[in-house]
Amino acid sequence: MSSLQLLSLKPHSSSYPFLSPPSIFSKTLKPKTHQPKNPKTHIVSVLQWNRKPQLSGPTPRVVVITSGKGGVGKTTTTANVGLSLARLGFSVVAIDADVGLRNLDLLLGLENRVNYTAVEVLAGDCRLDQALVRDKRWSNFELLCISKPRSKLPLGFGGKALIWLVDALKSRSDGRRPPDFVLIDCPAGIDAGFITAITPANEAVLVTTPDITALRDADRVTGLLECDGIKDIKMIVNRVRTDLIRGEDMMSVLDVQEMLGLALLGVIPEDSEVIRSTNRGYPLVLNKPPTLAGLAFEQAAWRLVEQDSMKAVMVEEEPKKGFFSFFGG
Amino acid sequence: MASISTSISLLQLQSLSPLTAISNSEKHRVFSDSIEFRTRLHFDLSRLKRCSTKSRWVFKVRAVGNSEENSNDRERVGGNGAEKRWTLDSGRIMGRLRGTVDAIPPVVFTMKKHIGKNFAIGLFITIAFLVIVVRQVLSRRTRYNQQGSVADLVKRGQLRSDRRGISSPLKYDDPFNNPLVKIGKSNSTIEMCGKLYRLSPVTLTKEQQSSHQKRRSRAYQWKRPTIFLKEGDPIPPDVDPDTVRWIPANHPFATTVNDIDEDLAQNNVYQKDGVPFRIRAEHEALQKKLEALQSQGQLELNPSSDHANTSKSDGSFESNAESEELKKP
Repeated sequence: MSSLQLLSLKPHSSSYPFLSPPSIFSKTLKPKTHQPKNPKTHIVSVLQWNRKPQLSGPTPRVVVITSGKGGVGKTTTTANVGLSLARLGFSVVAIDADVGLRNLDLLLGLENRVNYTAVEVLAGDCRLDQALVRDKRWSNFELLCISKPRSKLPLGFGGKALIWLVDALKSRSDGRRPPDFVLIDCPAGIDAGFITAITPANEAVLVTTPDITALRDADRVTGLLECDGIKDIKMIVNRVRTDLIRGEDMMSVLDVQEMLGLALLGVIPEDSEVIRSTNRGYPLVLNKPPTLAGLAFEQAAWRLVEQDSMKAVMVEEEPKKGFFSFFGG
Repeated sequence: MASISTSISLLQLQSLSPLTAISNSEKHRVFSDSIEFRTRLHFDLSRLKRCSTKSRWVFKVRAVGNSEENSNDRERVGGNGAEKRWTLDSGRIMGRLRGTVDAIPPVVFTMKKHIGKNFAIGLFITIAFLVIVVRQVLSRRTRYNQQGSVADLVKRGQLRSDRRGISSPLKYDDPFNNPLVKIGKSNSTIEMCGKLYRLSPVTLTKEQQSSHQKRRSRAYQWKRPTIFLKEGDPIPPDVDPDTVRWIPANHPFATTVNDIDEDLAQNNVYQKDGVPFRIRAEHEALQKKLEALQSQGQLELNPSSDHANTSKSDGSFESNAESEELKKP
């Protein structure tokens, strides 16, 4: 359901010329037309919930969640995808690599349980297992913060430190199995924090919103990641608003994909529940009844496990008009 | 009710009494007045009808008696001229007075009428007030029960307020059974959370992805920095200048100063059990200091001193050690 794409209702054309490398941001948004050829495969690619996903690739899979621009939902994505993975039965360690401005603990409601961070582990004040905060809701989810909000991270071996941490997690022997996923919440920008966060990653999830400011940053960050050797980059388009797309005031997800040329991991609709879940310290995916955004995050997690991408996006169906619609009924 | 009606009849009698002095010439006027009165009386009666049947009966009797009196009066009129004029003048005055009195609604009746109205208004206001209060109380309760509200921030200690309530968390347990997701019969539509979505296929091809990658590799040339230097520091001779990241001396989150040795930090990260390095080191240092103090004290003491003295001296060493430790920052 992250495929919960709420696209522009205008059909898309599959014959849109993509041959020349598109110059980003200079393109007008053109509606295209598509007809689903094999609806069944689309369903599978869009919606999966009644089976356990098959883990693909060597473990631990180290995934950095980044965006370039701030405020697009990196931390929210990390929290929700992380807990979804835990709910699907995988062992997950989320690392908040946002050095000075960490927030992942708040989103998860674990802020009162963070006593030690990675900086203390490096300094020898505690062991790594003591710095890992286990979530009581899903005990196969653990949080590790890089540093305390008011402390400085020594950058001399910032990136190296994360590699050591991942290695130590791989070979942990405290009665817990090594993690299947290590999710790294990257800070905004392309500063030292970004460099530290991407160092141990094998794959990346790029979070963006459908606006040109976020897209420009996302394109730049994608370029840097590719330069660094991270080739497996997928994107999550966050805060998608159907009403704006319908009125052609917002780019559709396919427009975003056309500009960035990245595989789609998920599409998250704008949801007021996000603020509520942040206030509660309870990620959306645990909400009952589930919300659209929560379902979308869950499906994104599903695809992450299977290294899959969206083959179809969901378009909001126009309400059926009756006989009296002519009269405003 | 009966007392009210009698008082009303008395009042009407007073208004009718001047009719006794009305002349023949003015028969019509008098008569028309009386008709007018009757209609008014009838109007009043119609009001009274609504109150009770008993009062209506009283008024009927009163009206009949009145008309009879009028006819008797008419018979009696017909004395001398002066008397006639006097009666005429007084009749006019009395007529005016009567008119004025007629114009004023009966006091008791008016009072009664107002009391009824006031009572209804008062009752209405009271009910409205009660409804408002109940609604407020209920809405406040629901507000406290609402998930993800500001109350949750209070619960988590992020907000200080004594007035706020505590909400219970929700849990969406089973990711493999989701009743809110239904697939349409045609497999091309999906209903989620009550909304119908149509599937639209993604059109991004491998060629398009690779062309985007080429574009980015041309646009962004980047090497991940491997060395962090403080602004103004000289670049070491064996370091590629492209891989240097310059960190401002006053950077809020990052520092280039390493307090810890790199190898030591790595060992700390890999440590799986036992006392953390720094804790152990501090403990050992303290132990050594204690031993040193003890040996120094033993040297100072007389070896032939008794047991009591020894124990006393041990106590003093301990207190000395403690005081030194306290002095140490």
